[in-house]
Amino acid sequence: METQSPLPVLIWVVPAVCGLVTLAVGRWRREFQGWLAFAGLAVTVVISGLIAQSVLAGWVLTAWNNTLRVDGLSALMEVLASLIGMIIVVYSLRYIPGRLDIEEPRRLGGPVPRDVRLSSYYGLLLLFLGMMNWTCATNSLVWLYVSLELTTLATALLVIFYWNRESLEAGYKYLMLVTVGVLFALMGLGLIYAAAAGLPGTEGRGVLLITEVGKVARQMPKALVLLANVFLVVGFGTKAGLAPFHAWLPDAHAEAPEPISALLSGIVIKVGAYALARTITLFAPQPDYGAVVVFVAIMASASMVIGILMALVQDDLKRMLAYSSVSQIGYVIEGLGLGTYLGIYGGLFHLINHSLIKALLFLAAGAIVYVTGTRRISELGGLRQRAPITAFCFLVGALAIGGLPPFSAFMSKFTLFLAAAQKGLLWAAIIAVFTGLLTVACFVRAAYLICWGMRRGVADCGLQAAAKSGIRNPKSEIALGSEREVPVAIWTGMAVLVVLTVGLGLFPNLAYPLLDRATVCIQALLPAS
Amino acid sequence: MEGTVGTLMYLHLLASVLAAEWRNLRSATWALVAQSATLALILGVLGWQWGVPAMFLWAVWAVATKAVLIPWLLFRALRILPDAEVEPLAGFRAPWAVTVLLVLAVSRLLFALVGWLGSSVAAVQGALALALTVFVLGLYVCTIRRDVIKIVIGVLLLENGAHLTLAVLAPARWETAYLGIFTNVVVAAWLLIYIARVVYEAIGTTDTLVLSQLRR
Repeated sequence: METQSPLPVLIWVVPAVCGLVTLAVGRWRREFQGWLAFAGLAVTVVISGLIAQSVLAGWVLTAWNNTLRVDGLSALMEVLASLIGMIIVVYSLRYIPGRLDIEEPRRLGGPVPRDVRLSSYYGLLLLFLGMMNWTCATNSLVWLYVSLELTTLATALLVIFYWNRESLEAGYKYLMLVTVGVLFALMGLGLIYAAAAGLPGTEGRGVLLITEVGKVARQMPKALVLLANVFLVVGFGTKAGLAPFHAWLPDAHAEAPEPISALLSGIVIKVGAYALARTITLFAPQPDYGAVVVFVAIMASASMVIGILMALVQDDLKRMLAYSSVSQIGYVIEGLGLGTYLGIYGGLFHLINHSLIKALLFLAAGAIVYVTGTRRISELGGLRQRAPITAFCFLVGALAIGGLPPFSAFMSKFTLFLAAAQKGLLWAAIIAVFTGLLTVACFVRAAYLICWGMRRGVADCGLQAAAKSGIRNPKSEIALGSEREVPVAIWTGMAVLVVLTVGLGLFPNLAYPLLDRATVCIQALLPAS
Repeated sequence: MEGTVGTLMYLHLLASVLAAEWRNLRSATWALVAQSATLALILGVLGWQWGVPAMFLWAVWAVATKAVLIPWLLFRALRILPDAEVEPLAGFRAPWAVTVLLVLAVSRLLFALVGWLGSSVAAVQGALALALTVFVLGLYVCTIRRDVIKIVIGVLLLENGAHLTLAVLAPARWETAYLGIFTNVVVAAWLLIYIARVVYEAIGTTDTLVLSQLRR
């Protein structure tokens, strides 16, 4: 049942306008920095809740002559993005000002007033969330591309936020590779549009609307559709960090501020997965869709294996988490590409779980840097004694991402294994299980090295002894490592994510209503099996 | 592929090769201006042939952004950045010949591939093959060139190839112009150029391989 509503407009306009106000005014008024971001996102979370409520009641919300359309899948993404965005803002309120003090001396081009930096940070964060919500609410091929490109621009500026050599390199690589990728997606979208526009009887119909294209998808020339799907997988796969188009991902995650790394893995790469889900499944009714399923399964399996093998050899904690994201996004895309109810459900469930768990891990990594002053795993150890809450949060994240029960990712991965096997892709299921085992090994090892034992590396230069003797330099607290638990504002967000991860693991049915709605949205396009 | 559009397509491809291969970045930017201008002319002619006024709007927009604004940004950057392109991975020894051969081979291959796409594109097989060749040329430039400015030119070739493909496949619909006008990488290009300037002022090079060595 469709109904006109202002909510599809508000869900992205509110954070976008707050972002613009923060950028414009925040440099002069501090209350328009973090606190406006908090207030704007609080309103956005409420709006996303109202949207979810309407969708669960069976409504599809539309606006602007159906160019905005919020169904179950959109609602799921918007709730997730708003919630994680809120947690990241709360975390950043305490974290970012301290990190700026450390990073400022390495900034290229001379000092910039702190208020300008902070207003830019929160403004861009809000703009990104607005554009993300727009991507999830739009029903237009044109605005899907435009909003996706705008999310790339906003996040590129956030990746280079510290404006030092490493972050500029990472930001340049991210912007260049994702822009090239999104141009591939533009080619795919253009081919889809042209194929639809060339069909008789489509004059006067909105063939730029995704729903209208879906109605005529079965009639489109098969070869053209296959070519378009290849472009779309390459294009949106680049945005999603799917191997082998993932080259931007490790550097961007490593050099961005830690809350932004959480944003990248938690939300940004999911935009690419969402766009793929919206577009390639349009052609599921085509007789040759099986070829697309196999193609997607091959790409996804390659991403799983490449990602986790690269993660295993990393000493940099953030790069390890980044490569893990390359691996985990393979699970999501494999599920979405299978085309069955179980596969799509498992893919979307893993999308939620990975967003929550990876955000938790990156925020915990930030807390580890706050406590120890380093992100090198070989230099860490004994965290549970100095910062037990941070250690616990990291441990939960590490066990959860491995897919161990009772955490939520166990259920989503198991669903995906079953779905792949049921579809007849036993080889894909075996690769997914094998990757899961490697993920457990990688993260259990990392958690052990970080949380237990003696602190390594730092002892060699006497910092550990200096910390024990109480010598502290308040100005460079983070560089030396505070050697004590992080403030409440920093661990609160992590605690919320821990509760959600454990809660969804113990009670997976909590997510069922919205996940079912989202799955049905995609499955409505599929032929009856 | 005959007539005015055919001639313009060949000129467009020639300008694309010049933009891709000219070592002097100012000259390459002028070639990009010519390439974008031929794209705008193609859009205008298609609009006239099919009676779609929106295509004229797209042609004007293409001139404003692709032939004026983006080259202006490039020329501004080249006041500070060096004119000479950083030597690409394959060297400068026989790049022109390689690129021309690549373009010829790819266009023949794509002509056959487009034929496989079936009767729906039979009428525009040649034009579509050339449009996809420009796209592939842009990808080639982005892949093997080391100079940031030349890579930005490669991104713009990719975009123009995508837009030309769109125009060739669906010239009779106003929605084509709508899609073309709003899908523009002007801001991304500006940001890439801006980052290139900052990095050059910091480390004195536009070589992307040196850029990747900035990491500790």
